Amino acid sequence: MPRKNTALPNHSAAVIVKRPPKAMAMLRERLVEALGSDAVKTAPEDLAVYAFDAYTDGGLPSAVVLPSSTRDVSAIVKIARDCGEPIVARGAGTGLCGGAVPLEGGIVVSFARMNRVIELDERNRRVRVQPGLINLALSREVANLGLFYAPDPSSQQISTIGGNIATNAGGPHCLSYGTTINHVLGLEIVDAVGEVFETSIDAAGYDLTAAFVGSEGTLGIVTSAWVRLMALPESVRVWVAAFDDIESASEAVSAIIAAGILPTALEMMDAVITHAVEAAFHAGYPTDAAAVLLIENAGFHEDVEASESEIHALVSANGARSWRSARTKAERDVLWAGRKSAAGATGRIAPNYYTQDVCVPRSRLPRALHAVGDAARENGITVGNVFHAGDGNLHPLLMYDKRDRKQVAAVIETGNQILQSAIDLGGTISGEHGIGWEKREAMTRVYSTADLAVMARVRDVFDPIRMLNPEKIFPAGARCPEVIPS
Amino acid sequence: MNAVQRREAPSSAQAVAELLASCDRAGEQVQVAGGGTLSGMGYPPERLDVTLSTAALTGIVANERADLVIAAQGGTTIRDIVNLLATQSQFVPFDAPRAQYATVGGTLAAGWLGPRRHRYGRVRDYLIGSTIVLADGTIAKAGGMVVKNVAGYDMSRLYVGSFGTLGVLVQANFKTIPRPPHARLFLAPLPEGTRDRACGQLAALRVAPAAAFWVDGFNAIDGEDGDEGRVVVLLEGSDALLERATLELRSALGRAGVPQTHVIDAGAHEGFERVVDAYIACLGERSVTYRLYPPPDAATGSALRLHEALREFGLRGETIVDVMNGDVVLRVSDLDPHALGAKIEQFDDALHAVEPAAQVVAGEHPNRPYLRVWGVPPASIERMRELKTRFDPNRTLNPGCFIGGI
Repeated sequence: MPRKNTALPNHSAAVIVKRPPKAMAMLRERLVEALGSDAVKTAPEDLAVYAFDAYTDGGLPSAVVLPSSTRDVSAIVKIARDCGEPIVARGAGTGLCGGAVPLEGGIVVSFARMNRVIELDERNRRVRVQPGLINLALSREVANLGLFYAPDPSSQQISTIGGNIATNAGGPHCLSYGTTINHVLGLEIVDAVGEVFETSIDAAGYDLTAAFVGSEGTLGIVTSAWVRLMALPESVRVWVAAFDDIESASEAVSAIIAAGILPTALEMMDAVITHAVEAAFHAGYPTDAAAVLLIENAGFHEDVEASESEIHALVSANGARSWRSARTKAERDVLWAGRKSAAGATGRIAPNYYTQDVCVPRSRLPRALHAVGDAARENGITVGNVFHAGDGNLHPLLMYDKRDRKQVAAVIETGNQILQSAIDLGGTISGEHGIGWEKREAMTRVYSTADLAVMARVRDVFDPIRMLNPEKIFPAGARCPEVIPS
Repeated sequence: MNAVQRREAPSSAQAVAELLASCDRAGEQVQVAGGGTLSGMGYPPERLDVTLSTAALTGIVANERADLVIAAQGGTTIRDIVNLLATQSQFVPFDAPRAQYATVGGTLAAGWLGPRRHRYGRVRDYLIGSTIVLADGTIAKAGGMVVKNVAGYDMSRLYVGSFGTLGVLVQANFKTIPRPPHARLFLAPLPEGTRDRACGQLAALRVAPAAAFWVDGFNAIDGEDGDEGRVVVLLEGSDALLERATLELRSALGRAGVPQTHVIDAGAHEGFERVVDAYIACLGERSVTYRLYPPPDAATGSALRLHEALREFGLRGETIVDVMNGDVVLRVSDLDPHALGAKIEQFDDALHAVEPAAQVVAGEHPNRPYLRVWGVPPASIERMRELKTRFDPNRTLNPGCFIGGI
C-alpha cells in the first residue's frame, strides 16, 4: 500500500528539539565568533520566523545565520558539523512543499544578505549572482541591456535564484524556455564538510550542475551561480480565450500542442480563479466563462503574427466563445499580474488553500482535470484550477479552513486522490514545486526501491552523514538505504 | 584476466543487466560501444574483457506525437529518430556527427554538444526520462514521459556526458519541439581583413542564425576559403523570417567587407551536417582534433592564438569556430604521422597551459592516449571519483576511459 501524505499547513507536529542549554550556548558562541553577532539569531521570537515556508510549519531551528560570503557559509558548515546540527538552506521561504523548513532543530542559513549580482558578462549573455538575489530583481537589472532571466515562477517578486535552483523552479514561460536547470551554467558550492568547489556545464566530467539543480539543498549549499540571460523578444502577443466548460479549454490546449505549436506560455484558469482574480485585481478576465486560456507568444514579428491566426483557429474549433488580444504592454502586464497573483486572490474564497502540483502527459490533460473535479466533489472541497496547461502541469488549489478538522481531512484526501490520478495517467508527483518534506513518502509511488537507492548513491557522495536538509526528498523508509554492493 | 575478449549484443534491458551483473561478479571489465562515431574521445580502456554493443537495443519505444515526446532504446541511431520526427514536423537538436551511425546512448554518454544549442538548447535539456543499467545489474529509471518533473534528483542529466562510466543507458525519453519549416545555408569566402568584423556581425544579428561558423581549412565542408577562411551560416524558420534574416545577413556581411555570398536552399541541412561531421573527421594517424569552449566573444581570438602556436611547432591547423556558442574545433595534422608524434605531446602541454579545458574529440594517432584528452581535470575530480565508486565500485564499466582515469 502506498503511504499517504498526512501533512497540511499547521498540522505537522511542530517539533521542538530540546538541546542541552550548554550545547546551545556553545553553538551560539562559535557562530558569533565566526560571523559576528548581527548575523546570528537564537532568540525564540527570531527563530519562529524561520520555522515555516509557504506550505507548512516545521520546528524551531537551533539558530538562524545570515552569511555575507562563501567563507561565512563554509565556516557555518564546519561549526554545524562539530556541533551535530543539520543545516537547512533558505531563500525567501516561498516553497510549497516544506523544503526549507527545519524539522529537528538545526541551523537555518538564510541568504538574505547574499543578494547581489557579482559579475555581469553582457556580451556573452551570462551573469554570476549570489543565491539570495531575488528572481525578478535580476531581470529588472538587465532589462536596459535588452536581456532577461527566463525562469519566472509566480513567486518571482520575492523568491530567490538560490531557492529556484534548489527546486529547479518552473513558471509559465518554461513551456518555451525550460525550467531553471536549462538556465544554470555553473555553480559554486559549499559541501558538507565546508569545502568549496565549482561546477560548469561546459567542463568535461560528470555534470554535477545537473545533480545539484533540483536537489533541494540535500547535496550542498549553492553560494553563487552563473546563469544564462536571454535576449528580450522583439514581439510579444497575449491573448485570452474564453470557454463554456473546462473540458473544451483543456481539449483546446491539447489541440494546440498536437498541432506542433509551442507558444511561450499557455495557461489555464477556471471560473473559481477568474472570479477571485477579477474581484481582487480587475485584470480583465471574463467572469462569465467556465475557463479561460491565457496564451502568450513571443519571438520574431513574422512568427508571432502568423501564430495568432493558427492558435485562434484551433481554440475556436475547440469551442472558444470569445477571443481577445491584449492591445498594449500595460494590458498584457495586468493580465499577467492577475495570473501570477491568482493563488493569493483565493483568500476571498476561503481562509486557507493547499496547492497540489502534478504533471501529466499533455494529451491527458482533459482526463486529469476531470479527475481533479471528481476528487473535489467527492470530498466536498472547493477547487480552483490555475496552471501551466501547455506543460500538462496542474495546480489545483484546494480551499479550506484549517480550523475545521473535517475540512483538513477532506483536503488531504482530495490531494491524495489527485496525486494518484496523475500517477495513473502516466504523470509525476511534482512538476515544479519539489518534493521537500510534503511528498517524500509519495516518491515510492513513482519510483521503485532500486530507483531511489540509485539517487541515494548520489547523496552518499556529497552528504554521507545526512546533515544537509535531512528528512527531505527521500521517503523515511529509505533513510539509510544499503547502496554499496558488498 | 580472461585471455579472450568477447563481444556481446544484449537485446533487452534485462539482458544487459544479466550480462553486467555476471561481468561485475567475475571481475571482467566491459567497454560499452554504440555506433563508434565518437571513438576518438576518451582514453582506451585499461583492460578489456567484454565489449557490450548496443546494436541489438534499437527501436522507438513510444512515440506520443500529440504530446511531443518520444522514447527510444539506447542503440537506436540518431538518424532513425530524426527521420521519424521529421515526418511529424518535430525535432530534437541532436546535431550528432555521422548521425546514420551515431546512437542515442552514445551521443548522450559522450555529452555531445551540437552547434544549434544556442538557439534550441542542449540535448540534455530535452531528456525527460531514462533507464540505465548499473554495473551490478540494477535497472533504474529516472524521470518519465512528462515534460516537467522535479521528483527527486535529475539522474537522467547526470548520465549525459558520463561516458558510460556510471551505467549503460538502455532507454532515453525526449521531449520534442516543432521543426522549423525552412532552412537556408550561406557560404562566403572571407577576404583579407574581414574575419573579425564578419564574426562580430554574425554574433550580433537580430535574427540569430541557427548556426554560424568561421571555417579555416576542412575541405569536406562546403564553400571555399578566402584569405581568412570562410563563414558558413544556417538560417532556420518560417519563409517570412528567412526573407528578413537573409536581407539582414547579407547587409551585415557587406558591412564587414565580405562581397560574395553563396546561398543553398535545397540541401541546406546536408551542408550543415557536413560541418558537424567535420568536427570528428580525422586523417587517420595524421591528425588529432581538439575541441574547447571559450566564451563566444573570445572564440575567434583563441583559435588564432592556437594557429600561431601550431606554426611554431611546424604543424598544420584547421579550424571551425562556432561563432554563436563560442566553441573551437582545432584539427592538428602533419602529413607524416611520425613528425606529428614527435610534436603533439609538447603541443598538448602548450595548449593546456592556455586552454586547460581543451578536449580531444578525434584522431587515431597512436600517441593520443598520452594526451590530456579530457583537458586538465577540474578541482571537483575527487568528488567525481567518489561518484564513480558509488555507482561502479569494481570499475567494471569503461575503466580508465574517462576524465582523471575514472
